[in-house]
Amino acid sequence: MVEPQQSRLPALRSKMKIDDLNVYYGSFHAMKHASLDVPDRHVMALIGPSGCGKSTFLRALNRMHDLTPGARVTGTVTLDGNDIYAPGIDPVTVRHRIGMVFQRPNPFPKSIYENVVYGPKIHGEGNAKRLAEICERSLRAAALWDEAKDRLHRSALDLSGGQQQRLCIARVLAVEPEVILMDEPASALDPIATSKIEDLIGELKKDYTVIIVTHSMQQAARISDFTTFFLLGDLIEVGTTSEIFTRPTDKRTEDYITGRYG
Amino acid sequence: MASVVAAKPAAAPLSGDRARSRRIVDRIATASLWTAASAVVAMLIAFVIYVFVQGYSAISWHFLTGYPQSAVAGGGVGPEIFNSFYILLLTLCFTLPIAVLAGVFLQEYAGPGRFRDLVQFSAESLATVPSIVMGLFGLIVFVQLFHWHFTALGGALTLTLLNLPAMMRVTQESLAGVPNTYREASMALGATKWQSVLRAILPSAIGPLTTGVVLVSGRIFGETAALIFTAGSSVSFGASAYDFNPFHTAETLAVHLYSTQREALVPDATQIANGSALVLLVMVLLFNVVARIVGRQLTQRFTGKAS
Repeated sequence: MVEPQQSRLPALRSKMKIDDLNVYYGSFHAMKHASLDVPDRHVMALIGPSGCGKSTFLRALNRMHDLTPGARVTGTVTLDGNDIYAPGIDPVTVRHRIGMVFQRPNPFPKSIYENVVYGPKIHGEGNAKRLAEICERSLRAAALWDEAKDRLHRSALDLSGGQQQRLCIARVLAVEPEVILMDEPASALDPIATSKIEDLIGELKKDYTVIIVTHSMQQAARISDFTTFFLLGDLIEVGTTSEIFTRPTDKRTEDYITGRYG
Repeated sequence: MASVVAAKPAAAPLSGDRARSRRIVDRIATASLWTAASAVVAMLIAFVIYVFVQGYSAISWHFLTGYPQSAVAGGGVGPEIFNSFYILLLTLCFTLPIAVLAGVFLQEYAGPGRFRDLVQFSAESLATVPSIVMGLFGLIVFVQLFHWHFTALGGALTLTLLNLPAMMRVTQESLAGVPNTYREASMALGATKWQSVLRAILPSAIGPLTTGVVLVSGRIFGETAALIFTAGSSVSFGASAYDFNPFHTAETLAVHLYSTQREALVPDATQIANGSALVLLVMVLLFNVVARIVGRQLTQRFTGKAS
């Protein structure tokens, strides 16, 4: 594959490498021959108009398509050089290392504490003291500790939408993934809650590789180091965020950035 | 009208014949719906009052705990009440594991395909079998083929066959009510399918599941036809009529009501039947009330939802 855009990325260690990724829903070819290097400990934004395949691309990175009947994925996706689609790889362990935050906050109908320790528990941590430590550390990392510490055993569903989304991030952090995938995590939130999530993402990239789908170009510009543009199932262009927004090389990217695709 | 372009409709009048007639139709409809709904409540109340008036004079501590009599007046229904609960318990022991596992399989595991269709079709067919036919099946298999004679176990197994489809349906519907986002969230955290079912999906469904189970229990409690020829219409002749041996005959309250009315030689048969009917009715109503309370409590406990 010719990937002239890749040369524009500064030389950074890649956390994930996606090569010739195709996703099909039945006979519909939803993602076509996408290749991308994701630098370690940076924020990569995936942008593009609705239906461009950015969420489809994201969900291929932790094998969520395995759960969708009729979905099929080809190509390679490597995490630290290991193909997560190779035969013999357990998707469950892949999802342990690559966490995901969804569009709508989806805490379990359990207490705040039980939500955070859900992951560690299923991975075998049974020690109450260690679980409490994990809970506090994860909530602090998700900037929710101060608001939640007095109500850990109350229902997570009583939290506001923005708090619920930070709880979902804490829940992901509790299993100590290396990569965090976010599928428009702030699209259901008000501006104040959104800015809290954005600040949080800025903190997270110190320790994690973040790949975030967003429909908001302003958000991509604010929070990401690199941006990838998708259109109609094609990966059009990737570059540093400032390049993509100021000097895109592809006419289609420019049209989208300047608002010609709505 | 020759014009192709439709004329602009006149503004709707704020009053007039048309508006008035529409308002009248609306009132008639509201009244009819209200009447139909009230009729349901009225019938229930009338029925309960009737059974209560007929039966309350038979109720006494002696009636509720005493042994039944075969020839003289003054028999009680203590062992029958015990047997009703005992057979219910046995039935749930068999029904719940099978029904819940099968329901989880159908709702969470089985993709579309022949096997799922087969299971679903079998369950639906089983659900249409009349209880008296199931009773005769139990008679042939447990009573005659296995030579168990009339037993609590035979009755419970027959009731298991009868109620498996309903219990399976309850499980499926409870699980169907669990938002897909919980499944995704759990899987995305690296849970296996079974862990997701056990720790996220079933606990989220515990409220409706329990409500459904208790409601089906009410039906099991009141079941008659399937038990007459399988658990028998007499209480145990063991050391005590309160008998935990599953291989002894065990007449339930509902069967007692039927057999007393039909063939008893005691002079106070009608009164005993009326009393039994009242006890049975109160028990089944209790099941319904308990179903709601327990369902709500469990939902709160497992989901932490302050509803």
